[in-house]
Amino acid sequence: MVTQSQEDRQTPAVVRSGPVGKGLRVLVAVVGIGLLINGSVRASDDAWPFGPMSQYAMSVPDDAKIDYTRISALTDAGTTVDVPLNIEGAGVARAEIEARTGEIVKDPSLLQQVADGWARKHPDQPKYVKLELIRDTTQLVKGRVEGPPTSQVLATWEVRK
Amino acid sequence: MKVVNWFTPAIALARIAWLRTVLYLFVILDMHAFVRDTRDKGEHPGLYQPLLLARLLDLPKPSVANTTALYVVLIVACLIGATNYFPRGAGWIVAPAFTWWVLIGMSDGKVDHDHLALVIALWVLPTVGGARRGLASYGDQTRSEAAGWAIRCVQICVIATYFLSSIAKLRSAGWALTWPGSAVLTWAIVRRPHPVGEWLLNYPWVLHVMQWVGIIGEFCSPVILWLKGRWQLFGALFFLGFHAANTAILLIHFLPTVVCWLAFAPLERIVPWFQARRAKARSAEVGSAEAGSAEAGSAEAGSDDAGETEHEAEQGREAEQQAGA
Repeated sequence: MVTQSQEDRQTPAVVRSGPVGKGLRVLVAVVGIGLLINGSVRASDDAWPFGPMSQYAMSVPDDAKIDYTRISALTDAGTTVDVPLNIEGAGVARAEIEARTGEIVKDPSLLQQVADGWARKHPDQPKYVKLELIRDTTQLVKGRVEGPPTSQVLATWEVRK
Repeated sequence: MKVVNWFTPAIALARIAWLRTVLYLFVILDMHAFVRDTRDKGEHPGLYQPLLLARLLDLPKPSVANTTALYVVLIVACLIGATNYFPRGAGWIVAPAFTWWVLIGMSDGKVDHDHLALVIALWVLPTVGGARRGLASYGDQTRSEAAGWAIRCVQICVIATYFLSSIAKLRSAGWALTWPGSAVLTWAIVRRPHPVGEWLLNYPWVLHVMQWVGIIGEFCSPVILWLKGRWQLFGALFFLGFHAANTAILLIHFLPTVVCWLAFAPLERIVPWFQARRAKARSAEVGSAEAGSAEAGSAEAGSDDAGETEHEAEQGREAEQQAGA
């Protein structure tokens, strides 16, 4: 009894794939690798999931200006706050705002949905009445941070009720 | 032929069963913790910028209806797939559904690069058939080339994530090696302020060392595909440490890639290991009970033990061969 079950375990059966199945699998793998290489060598993020792995891939010079984009809000309680740019906050991530900065500067009404997102997710908190898209710039000198950042207002939007 | 066989090593179906459970449950976690804004995009498609794949397939713009449907379908299919009952049917639903889910999540101008291995894993898992279902599948030692191919694809994608990162770093500098000596980590920390990182800003040379270690590790990562046993484990631990460091400095965890490292682990050994342990405990119990009644019995129990150890050793060797595969 014992020997039988042990024998089964000691020499597990091998299920081989037929020539067609095997050939097809290898072909798919090779094409996939080809797409990945193509993506990394020539494509952009648009080719996801076969795009380049370009997160943090750029070389930042030692004297770079580091930009950090944020949204400042004036509330109906009279306070000025930094809008929490994440899903739980205003329902939009900082990266999205940074990626669309140019468009927002051209059309500040895109900021309306930031106010809407905040109001919907936090109905009991003060509402935003005015939004400012602000760019903080930190200066690097010889690879080190030099002094506090300077701020510049890129776009302003009076929130529609 | 050798090249062909490299893509299709014979690996126990049990590893596929474990991966299914872990990855399908991970998808549910992912939908709530990582790519979690897909349903928000359905409510506010204003910033929606469809990626190439979405345009090629002419996928509809996210709406409350289609993202909610996608959510429900994914949760149900993942739960079914994770049980290993109807894993292929459920798997063929999860693969396109989760791909669409992530595609919407990343169609806002920013693409993350931590989902390659997971998404590909979901597409290859349902290609593997298997005789056993449910609980029995976790111990299925039947080795299959179809299973090996699926495992290999996930392994390749895990490694590609690193290797291609080093390529992207060379490409962005016009195919030059300037990245490791640049201020990229300083830049990243300034933009993601956080105590550990901010403390490191005072020591740019430490950041440069980390950049060099990172890019060399990434560039050499394909070696791990050919390493075996302990050496492969060291390779895996290096990259897990790499992620731990990234998480500490930048709060970037890459968990969807990290979980796919399990494709390298000999998960098929879990059930035999557990069974052997239980069998040993049982025989020890029987041994102590019989010890008082007959002296001859103890000799017999002793020989049984020896048999068990030999059997384990044999299994260990076998499993090691598979793990190296």
